[in-house]
Amino acid sequence: MTEQQLMALLPFMVLAAASIVIILLIAFRQGHTVIQVTGFLLMCLVIFAMWYVRGVLPQTIAPLLIVDGFGALFTGLIVFCVLVVGLFSYIYFEEREENPREYYILIFLSTLGAAILTISRHFMSFFIGLELLSISLYALIAYLRTRNNAIEAGIKYLVLAALTSAFLLFGMALIYMETGSMDFAVIAQRLNAAGKSSALFLTGFGVMMVAVGFKLALVPFHLWAADVYQGAPSPVASFIATVSKVGVFAVFLRFCQELHLQNNSAVMMLISAVAILSMISGNILALRQQNLKRLLAYSSIAHFGYLLVAFLPGNNTGVEAAVFYLTAYAITILAAFGIIILLSPGEKDADSLSMYRGLFWDKPFMAIVLTVALLSLAGIPLTAGFIGKFYVLTAGVEQRAWLPVIVLVITSVIGLYYYLRIISTIFADSPVTIQKERSLNQFFYTASYAALVVLTLLLFGIGVMPAVIIQGIKQFLVIDR
Amino acid sequence: MSKLVYLVPLFPLLGFLINGLFRKSLSKGLIGVIGSGAILASFIVSLVLFFDVKSAGAALPVEPLFTFINTASFKIDFAFQVDQLSSLFLLIITGVGFLIHLYSTAYMHEETEAHFGRYFAYLNLFVFSMLLLVLGANYVIMFIGWEGVGLCSYLLIGYWFKNSEYNYAATKAFVMNRIGDLGFLLAIFWLLSKLGAVSFVEVFTHLDKLTPGDITAITVLLFVGAMGKSAQIPLYTWLPDAMAGPTPVSALIHAATMVTAGIYMVARSNALYSLSEVAQHLVTIIGLATALFSATIALRQNDIKKVLAYSTVSQLGYMFIGLGVGAYTGAVFHVMTHAFFKALLFLGAGSVIHAMHHEQDIRKMGGLRKYLPTTHWTFLAGCIAIAGIPPLSGFFSKDEILAAAYAKNPVYWGLGVAGAALTAFYMFRLYATTFLGNFRGTHEQEHHLHESPAAMTWPLIILAVLSIIAGFVGVPEVLGGGHMLRSFLAPVLVTEHHPEIEHSTEYMLMGVSVALAAIAIIIAINKFSKKPQLEEPAGFGKVLADKWYVDELYDAIIVKPLNAFAGFLKNVVEKSGIDGIVNGVGRFVQYSARQLRLLQSGQVGSYILFMVLSMVVFFLVYWNQAMITHFFQKIF
Amino acid sequence: MGTAQILFWSLTALALISAIMVLVSKNPVYSVLWLIVVFFAISGHYILLNAQFLAIVNLIVYAGAIMVLFLFVIMLMNLNTETEPQKSIWMKFFGVVAGGLLLSFFISFVISSADLKGKSAQLKEGEIGLIKTLGKALFNDYVIPFEIASILFLSAMVGAVVIGKKD
Repeated sequence: MTEQQLMALLPFMVLAAASIVIILLIAFRQGHTVIQVTGFLLMCLVIFAMWYVRGVLPQTIAPLLIVDGFGALFTGLIVFCVLVVGLFSYIYFEEREENPREYYILIFLSTLGAAILTISRHFMSFFIGLELLSISLYALIAYLRTRNNAIEAGIKYLVLAALTSAFLLFGMALIYMETGSMDFAVIAQRLNAAGKSSALFLTGFGVMMVAVGFKLALVPFHLWAADVYQGAPSPVASFIATVSKVGVFAVFLRFCQELHLQNNSAVMMLISAVAILSMISGNILALRQQNLKRLLAYSSIAHFGYLLVAFLPGNNTGVEAAVFYLTAYAITILAAFGIIILLSPGEKDADSLSMYRGLFWDKPFMAIVLTVALLSLAGIPLTAGFIGKFYVLTAGVEQRAWLPVIVLVITSVIGLYYYLRIISTIFADSPVTIQKERSLNQFFYTASYAALVVLTLLLFGIGVMPAVIIQGIKQFLVIDR
Repeated sequence: MSKLVYLVPLFPLLGFLINGLFRKSLSKGLIGVIGSGAILASFIVSLVLFFDVKSAGAALPVEPLFTFINTASFKIDFAFQVDQLSSLFLLIITGVGFLIHLYSTAYMHEETEAHFGRYFAYLNLFVFSMLLLVLGANYVIMFIGWEGVGLCSYLLIGYWFKNSEYNYAATKAFVMNRIGDLGFLLAIFWLLSKLGAVSFVEVFTHLDKLTPGDITAITVLLFVGAMGKSAQIPLYTWLPDAMAGPTPVSALIHAATMVTAGIYMVARSNALYSLSEVAQHLVTIIGLATALFSATIALRQNDIKKVLAYSTVSQLGYMFIGLGVGAYTGAVFHVMTHAFFKALLFLGAGSVIHAMHHEQDIRKMGGLRKYLPTTHWTFLAGCIAIAGIPPLSGFFSKDEILAAAYAKNPVYWGLGVAGAALTAFYMFRLYATTFLGNFRGTHEQEHHLHESPAAMTWPLIILAVLSIIAGFVGVPEVLGGGHMLRSFLAPVLVTEHHPEIEHSTEYMLMGVSVALAAIAIIIAINKFSKKPQLEEPAGFGKVLADKWYVDELYDAIIVKPLNAFAGFLKNVVEKSGIDGIVNGVGRFVQYSARQLRLLQSGQVGSYILFMVLSMVVFFLVYWNQAMITHFFQKIF
Repeated sequence: MGTAQILFWSLTALALISAIMVLVSKNPVYSVLWLIVVFFAISGHYILLNAQFLAIVNLIVYAGAIMVLFLFVIMLMNLNTETEPQKSIWMKFFGVVAGGLLLSFFISFVISSADLKGKSAQLKEGEIGLIKTLGKALFNDYVIPFEIASILFLSAMVGAVVIGKKD
């Protein structure tokens, strides 16, 4: 391995070292605050390392990894999400019975898994990254182990994830059988040489799709999502909704781009069907949901359906649209979960919609942030969500994917209905049920509020001047070629 | 000079930010001054712009603010366009908007500071969005304003959020609007995919690249958007419900400005519409149907604001008739006069409601003439204007539309005149029941009856004067006028078609419509001033009073099935999920046993079964792929 | 039919029959025992493919360590036929049908694949399964995933500690 290759891997090594540092801190009996602050600084260090190595990109570390603009972009998004999740976690775990310190080790390990996915160009790193991501998640989901839902959600996730991993391996094996390689580029070459799409490859891809669909919570592999979102601690749920999905989507996108799967009609039919089903059932399931965390789970099913519409064309616009949409989605969902986390009293999470009745009259700041987040999810103009949806629709229309486009447009109206339902609840008149005293250091409240303000401003900023972000995304993607 | 235009939306935006952020620390007086002052400032700038456009005789050059979206295949600027059409709308929005803001400072005085601030913040945000809508130089910016006004309308209808019924009305309005917006959005994408451009200038200069099929599809989709926003059949039911908001809001948003956005959009796209016969016929027929249908409903409503709401729907129908038959100037003219007299009527109604302590049922009013003299006289002016009696403004604008309709097809004219007679009838039924006869409320109410404060009456007087004289900007040639409005708008409405009607015919048409309106007025006053309709309607009257049961119909065919479907999914998919397990778990005391129960309860099993089944379906589909792709190719 | 083929078919039959027995045994202890037989049969296949190292590892780790762990857990929790929850007959039925269909699809795809026709496995020839080859591959080309795998175990360890600790 050359020096430059090592350089390119620097951010990932820092990320791996971060968990070791946390373990050492625990060994030396440091408190939650020290760990939290160190973790925050370490994540900043990762971002700094990414900036530091930008000159040597792209680097291929044969045969498994490639650190390019695409990978850097997704890794950056992932680390940003972890920064925010980590910040919110402090208050959440301070108020709970469980010792929070190991939580940070698992979060960083899981993040490393997601980051490895973004730079994978080989089945082996794909699989190891995915496993690293999910094994840490099992424990994270069940972290508050004395609570019923947590253990249940953890076990459910474990059983289903293990099953889908088996499917993933089987799919990889079938593709390996067909092409004799596990390297994306070589697979693409061999398939091209064969000149036609073979049944074996398609079977393999279909089977792999089970695992990808499971991780992204796409219909029909979505059934775990609501249970797990509800059962997991809120910061972990937001982690699953952002980091885990971004990582898996990145590797899936790279795989499909590398293989030019957009030219394969059978694959496209499969993906369109999954997208349409996800948009429809995600939105309809959310329609009468009374639990905010479950509702966000269903809404994220629908949103990944939208995302797949951007994915269909496989051209530059599509990739840009997908990255942009993911960014907007991640910011929005983090803001929404941030509110849930900050409002949750110690005994349970603030997930029942009735707890939000009249929130505006008691905590206008939180209510406004949540409202903005919901409007962005609904895709109202001047928020990031609108531009994301617009961009996705553009990508879809360019490809003449009319059916998914029309389904997208129609389901987003249905979506508006349940987002408005929450907003109405927030503004309704009622004695407020969430009462929470601030027992902790004021600094962390200020920091969390500041994070929420930043997220909200980002939502508007991206909504009003999306060209800046789009330009940035383009610049990163150019490093690829 | 061109930079000046940015000030127009900037002032309301600043007003929104100041009132929104500091609403708790500012006094009510200051909030009112900031809120109204922002709009006044915009109005003054708009006046300057208007005269610039007028003297230049062409659109002002405006630099794009910044690049909004830039992709490989197209570029959308955040740019404004100031031409004859938009500058006229600017004047209407900021002018009427300012009067309504002023009126609101008195009308909303009972609210607490924070709510007062919130109200003005929303109102300013609304004006900002509306200005964005009319100033946008391309369909995307227009769409942003379009959704923005929808959002503000939602916020303002639900201003008294504490009442859940109002909340429902607000949600209904937003969702119905959003259905229309789908059409708009699809039209934008259609344009993007065919032309790679959405700015008005580029689209209208490259019309030859579009096939007739494309144009028809685009115009019909745009019209679907207009139907939602301008409350046309079948998407009109939200507007009467929207009256749940404070009365000045109804005046500004649901009568004078927002609902005319659809008219603006179609007039703006006149180059497109004139190329599609189908779309023009559709617009005319929908407009006619709406005009007549809602006029019949207005006949038997007893809520003062509901009558005005249905009248608004009906008048919007007239504007669409104008657009459909190619009388774009007439439609824009009617937008202007309607903004004056409908704002006047709503504010007058607000004054009545204010005096009656939030009583809106006209059966409990009567004889208010002597208690509220200013309100009475101004209201009367509004009624005459809307009824189309010369020389008040409504006559000229409505007549221009009807004349164009006659030139297209006399049947259109006949139905239009019938609607006009109905309009005169229900407006004077409203007037007579409210202001004539004897007072029918309680003594308590009678004791408190008083004229509204000056901040409320002055806007009424100004609007009344405007309603009376505004018609003179568009006096048709047959009556010896030069029709200033038409020559002003001519550069924008390039495709307008001026029908040649013989002068004698035109005199006859005017005579018939005025005579019918006059007869309707006399009947209504005779019938209702002495003996108002107090009893519950029966028979056909009840069908009208219940609005032809359209709401019930929508509920039965759309809302209920969707809810039932969601409920089914919830019960089947969810009931057996978490709930079942948690309940079952309670019985197991031992930890280990509980673990196993969770693992083996069959739930995870059923999830897996579902996944495997869907894979089986996929492979089945794959096997028969050739057949299915063929099937899909046939459909698309 | 040579010796290798006889061995192959008998090992295959053994593996399949034992796998079915794992599923249908009422008693979990029997299931585990049958599973050990499956692992043995598969190790036999490895040896046929000249992958001695994999065969040994499979025996030591899976058939040995992991299965013994399983047996202990099952015995400690005192599971037997009575504690097995009853699944509805429909679930079982659909499960068998769906699984069977999927299996038949896979088999038919593999069989119909043109590229695979007329090819045979490399018995006793390949070197890929030898310790020397594996070691070189692992510590040269695949050193990064090897390291990542160690982090994977770290996360599993931390996870187990978090869930299992007493306090």
